[in-house]
Amino acid sequence: MNRLLIFSVFIIGFVSCGEDFLNEPPKSVLTVGTFPSTESDAILATNAIYFIAKTWSINTGGFPVLDVMSDETVKGSNPGDGIHLRPYETFEHEATSIITENWYKTVYSAIKKTNLVIEKVPSIENIDPNLQSRLVAEARAFRAYFYSLLVRGYGDVPKVTVSEPPLGLGRAPYQEILNEIIYPDYEYAIANLPKRSDYPAEDLGRMTKGAAEGLYARIKLFYGDFETVETLTESIIESKEYELVPTLGKIFSHDNEFNEESIFEIGGLATTNQVLGGNQYANTQGVRGTPNKGWGFSRPAYPFIQELEANQDPRMESSILFLNEVIDGQTIVGEAATPDTTMENGRIVEIECYNQKVWVPGPTSETSFSHNRRILRYADVLLMHAEALVENGKASDALPFINQIRARARGGSNVLPDITTTNPSELKEAILNERKYELAFEGLRFWDLIRTGKAIEVMGPLGFVAGKNEFLPLPQSEIDISQGLILQNPGY
Amino acid sequence: MLLSMIAYGQNYTGIVTDSKTAEPLIGLSIYNLNNEIGTTTDFDGSYEIQAKPNDTLEFSYIGYQTQKIIVGNNFVIDVQLLTDAEILDEVIVVGYGAVKKSDLTGSITQIKSEELLKVPSSNAVQGLQGKVSGLQILSTSGDPGANPVVRLRGVTTLNDNNPIAVIDGVITDVGAISLLNSNDIASIEVLKDASATAIYGTRGAAGVIIVTTKKGTSGKDNIQFSFERSIENVGNKIDVMTGREFATYLNEIDPGTFNNLDALADTDWHDLIYKENTAITNANLSYSTGNEKNNHYIGLGYFNQEGVLPKSGLERFTAKINSNYKIAEFMNFGLDFSTMYSEKENAPGVVNNVLRALPITAPFNEDGSFADVNGGNPLAAIEFSNSTNKRVRALGNLYASVNFLKNFTFKTSLQFDANVAENRSFTPSYFVGPLQQNADNDLALSRNLNLSTIFENTLNYQQSFGPHNISLLVGHTSQTIRGENLEGRTEGLLREDDNFWFLDAGQDDLDQVSNNLRINRLESYLGRINYSFDSKYLVTASIRRDGSSNFGANNRFGVFPSMALGWNIYNESFFPKNSFLNSAKLRLSWGITGNEKIDVLAQYATIANGQDAVLGQNESLNAGASFDSGGNPNLKWEQTTQSNIGVNLGFFENRILAEVDYYVKNTEDILVALEPVGYLGIGANRSIFFNAADVENKGLEWQVSYQDKKGKFNYSIGVLGTTISNKVTNIGQGIGADSLIIGGDLGNGQQVGRSAVGEPIGFLYGYETIGVYQNQADLDNSASFFNSVVGDLKYKDLNGDGKIDGFDRTRIGSSIPELIYGFNVEVGYEGFSLAADFQGQRGSDIYNGKQAIRFTTVNFEEKYNNYWTGEGSTNTHPRASSGGNNFLPSSYYVESGDFFRLRSLTLNYKLNGNLLNKVKASNVNIYLRATNLFTVTNFTGYSPEIGATNAIDGVIDRGTYPISKIYTLGLNVQF
Repeated sequence: MNRLLIFSVFIIGFVSCGEDFLNEPPKSVLTVGTFPSTESDAILATNAIYFIAKTWSINTGGFPVLDVMSDETVKGSNPGDGIHLRPYETFEHEATSIITENWYKTVYSAIKKTNLVIEKVPSIENIDPNLQSRLVAEARAFRAYFYSLLVRGYGDVPKVTVSEPPLGLGRAPYQEILNEIIYPDYEYAIANLPKRSDYPAEDLGRMTKGAAEGLYARIKLFYGDFETVETLTESIIESKEYELVPTLGKIFSHDNEFNEESIFEIGGLATTNQVLGGNQYANTQGVRGTPNKGWGFSRPAYPFIQELEANQDPRMESSILFLNEVIDGQTIVGEAATPDTTMENGRIVEIECYNQKVWVPGPTSETSFSHNRRILRYADVLLMHAEALVENGKASDALPFINQIRARARGGSNVLPDITTTNPSELKEAILNERKYELAFEGLRFWDLIRTGKAIEVMGPLGFVAGKNEFLPLPQSEIDISQGLILQNPGY
Repeated sequence: MLLSMIAYGQNYTGIVTDSKTAEPLIGLSIYNLNNEIGTTTDFDGSYEIQAKPNDTLEFSYIGYQTQKIIVGNNFVIDVQLLTDAEILDEVIVVGYGAVKKSDLTGSITQIKSEELLKVPSSNAVQGLQGKVSGLQILSTSGDPGANPVVRLRGVTTLNDNNPIAVIDGVITDVGAISLLNSNDIASIEVLKDASATAIYGTRGAAGVIIVTTKKGTSGKDNIQFSFERSIENVGNKIDVMTGREFATYLNEIDPGTFNNLDALADTDWHDLIYKENTAITNANLSYSTGNEKNNHYIGLGYFNQEGVLPKSGLERFTAKINSNYKIAEFMNFGLDFSTMYSEKENAPGVVNNVLRALPITAPFNEDGSFADVNGGNPLAAIEFSNSTNKRVRALGNLYASVNFLKNFTFKTSLQFDANVAENRSFTPSYFVGPLQQNADNDLALSRNLNLSTIFENTLNYQQSFGPHNISLLVGHTSQTIRGENLEGRTEGLLREDDNFWFLDAGQDDLDQVSNNLRINRLESYLGRINYSFDSKYLVTASIRRDGSSNFGANNRFGVFPSMALGWNIYNESFFPKNSFLNSAKLRLSWGITGNEKIDVLAQYATIANGQDAVLGQNESLNAGASFDSGGNPNLKWEQTTQSNIGVNLGFFENRILAEVDYYVKNTEDILVALEPVGYLGIGANRSIFFNAADVENKGLEWQVSYQDKKGKFNYSIGVLGTTISNKVTNIGQGIGADSLIIGGDLGNGQQVGRSAVGEPIGFLYGYETIGVYQNQADLDNSASFFNSVVGDLKYKDLNGDGKIDGFDRTRIGSSIPELIYGFNVEVGYEGFSLAADFQGQRGSDIYNGKQAIRFTTVNFEEKYNNYWTGEGSTNTHPRASSGGNNFLPSSYYVESGDFFRLRSLTLNYKLNGNLLNKVKASNVNIYLRATNLFTVTNFTGYSPEIGATNAIDGVIDRGTYPISKIYTLGLNVQF
């Protein structure tokens, strides 16, 4: 019996499970550290950047707040939905807004993925060196693009250039972000990326030299470096890689993706599942009700429609879907809960209508997830080029570039006559208006108003406050968590 | 065995009961002093023993005065035993053992089998409702088989607040109790203070519920059969606008929308959807047998609940086998085994639909097809829902124990808990309207296999010398919890009937499959000492050291000690012996428990694939992989330090028993998922676990019972209650994470739950409504939104800056009740008894989320009929509106969650001797029971019993499956 005592003490005291018992490696997931370490890893890590560039909230936090703040659109949908988007209409948005928080955080998560490639891919051995530099160039073009979103949207932001940043960062001056990240990244990308025509058909959609030049020009334009803008846009024009799509309505149409005018676009497949390729950008703005194409946010503003109508601009028909309009065999009926016409003091203030640039034909709302968001197109490059020429004292050289756009819009009709003035300030005004009508609902109008100093004039009546609304508020959580290291933008 | 075959004398039978409560005494020993042969009583207190007329029988039972009877010539001898006032000794099950109640130092409440059977339910936990002070059980959903929300002594953590369950020694989750049939349960012990729970170390922080099932006893075989049949109906209807009211309201918003109110339909969706008088059937059969060497208990159960909502039924079969074999004088082995098979139709999500579907639309078109209804056609939703959950769960404990050297017992056991669940959902192709359609039929299938195994070894030493009693326990246990998930989905099935509800029937190019595995391991050492001196001074101390693979190597182990002192003051010689106060005990305890209930992956930052690029002229997926979730390698235990002081008092020969406890629980280093700074790049709405919050819970608990009898009339009253004070004392200090936890997402961008320092967990957050703007001057002179208009709700300008914005939001309600109480009354006369159980709570609020969430124009609850129509019409309800500022999170949507409910009312008739003999049964009970008969509350939803499954969300009524009123007729027979 004494042996039993020894036995049981032995069992309890010494038959422990051994050191390895609690060392259970995780299953079916890779932990960080050793990735990417091969050529195929490098491709995977780079492709993941295109994935995050397609996520819903990378598009200004999911909702087109830039257009809603501008004079081009209003909140849309019906009065009960998207309550958190409504404050942007009247510039009452706050630091606690989930939209600006989602955008900020999603862009940083995209930057993390680019940093992973930029940091780890150069040291991979046994990789085709051309592929290696291309992948890094793709990642750097994206990093510059993502940081451009941040500095334009938020001003000074934390500077993160490694995939695992330390805690305790404050805001870096936006000039530092521009000079140390955005400009060198774009320049590296331009030097190392293939032209669009050098990519095989299955790689269409990847970052190209032309895309990097165009996106670089866009941020340079924002900060008023017109010399560089002229050089970059000229390079794109001279490359003969792109041209305008002849028919107005065909630029955004579903059967004309990756067309000759599109310089950079993000693909999407007809599934609501984003992991399987769905792109919810169009769905967010798609026709609400019948036919069901989405939520119907960012509705073309009524005064904007009236302007297009007064100009007899054919882009009204190609950009806006009105009720009872028939498109691709489907009649736009809209939604019962959305008033067809909203009146205030006996005047029409809003009519139910939708952004036609995100229209996708097909029987279900799923098809709207296959819309490719056009990030940059040749028409924008031509207008940027024209603007740079005017600013650089070559006003008369600018006319053909604007008039190409007007001629395409005009089609066979005799509206929208060519611009003939060479007065720089008139021409600048004309270019800004052309951008408004041509690039409507593409998220550019707000920045055009800010950079040209027209923000208070145009958006003041909507609620824009100078000295405050040039920037979005940093997420309140970022302020709270950093405990004084990160300070809020003025006015919020 | 041989002896019993030789006739010694005559058979004497009878029933032994408690002299006060008339409850049968089970397992009582009866000893014939003359031939030195004994037996024990059965579950009904009955016995059978052979004796000669002049023999003396001795009836002895722990906690009762021993009684000797000379048998005489009356062959039926019913005996009533008097309780021994000095040693009220029931045996209480504690972690890894059992103690006499008088020796108990911790705070533990025991609930016996009979109490659990008072509510017809598939889950025995529901039987604990209103029976245990400190325990809050909310039947949050009337969906058959839905698990209630269980909270013990407040809300201790920001993550998983569920207590653990220990079923026949097997540590598992509280949901596992639903695999047991209440009829097979002998008792449930609820362990509340740290002295009781610390032996469970990392699992003990949220409390422990120990379930002990019935065992066979030696003596007579026992067959028990019970059958219950219930009908249920939705307890109350939520009033929504009629067709006419709705049209009138919309006309107010947009004049001329409906020109002919008489031409509109008036559809009452509630009446169309909910079924009346649906059935619950509950049948059980058990058999127990045993002799000196072996004993067995076998129980079979069948439970079927149709559910008041179509396609929500539950059918469940349970089986229970407990066998114990004494293979040698010093050695036992056995198996306690429970298993269950259930089939549950997953209720179609139409509860909200019913409240939202427009009443002005008839349910069907003229051609008989489903009408397109704004808000969704609930009839169509039910028609096209085909979703079933099938589940097998088996839980067992295979053990062997050896007694040696007189005082030692070594026990080894292998425990398992296997849970296999399959979900299959098929949605046909249909078109009701643009927002209610499914272009291609689809099938989703998932299978989860969870297996937990425990290897446990304990050594016990017990010794008494003189007034000293000592018992020691040491042990080692190791556990592996393995959960594997396999999911598949496809579309475009060849045909739509159920012969094709398999992945192979879908289009191969649309197949999606996913599969993953989680493994969590724990290894523990435990020890406990119980010492008592002269039954006056009691000491318990325990310690447990746990290691878990949920944490990185640096912080893997935690040590959880506890200490408790008890003083049986009544046993002191100086204590006056009188009939007023007959027992008194003082208890003090302190201890630390832990919590490790987080995902094993929380410690790792991961790289995942499934981040594919869409590229190429023909647009195809190009595989991508990168950062996925963030992780925290420095995670460690969350720990709760709890102190408890308690007294047990007995008055008037223990007819009144009172137990009062006061506790303070401090939880530190709470494991909480927080969103870190954005620039870390974890992503939007993504969080990382941190040890980053502290919470304090304090409360007073009391449980008082009184029982007595006058002649044939007996009665009892029990009262219990708990106060809860909950406060967050720290969140996210200095760890680079948010100091505010926002929860309670309504799905429309509004979040109404919040946790912040100085406030209780998950309080409701929004604007405080102070009236309605009555006229333009009122609007101009008050703070308002940029776009407020006359007739809108007026919110309080908290920061006084003259406008209303997000900074004017504040706490508008509490999700944690201040008081939870219950009381029960039972009166009996001869065979009849009437028992009523009441329960309630005060001080909590509910956010009426189901009304606040409006994506489109859907129906309104009735209170909106009182809309503001002009100056002075109302200062409570806003103008008619269908969205906008009046639907922002505000106190307008906060309702009091106070309630007082008659949980059950039971009329029981117990057949008396003569009738019993006719049916040849030893015990027959027939009863009628009403459940949820009435509820006193101001809450307008289906039931105020809404719990926050996730504490940080706050209590939000999102439209849960209604709680029903149930009437039951039952029969219970023992042979």
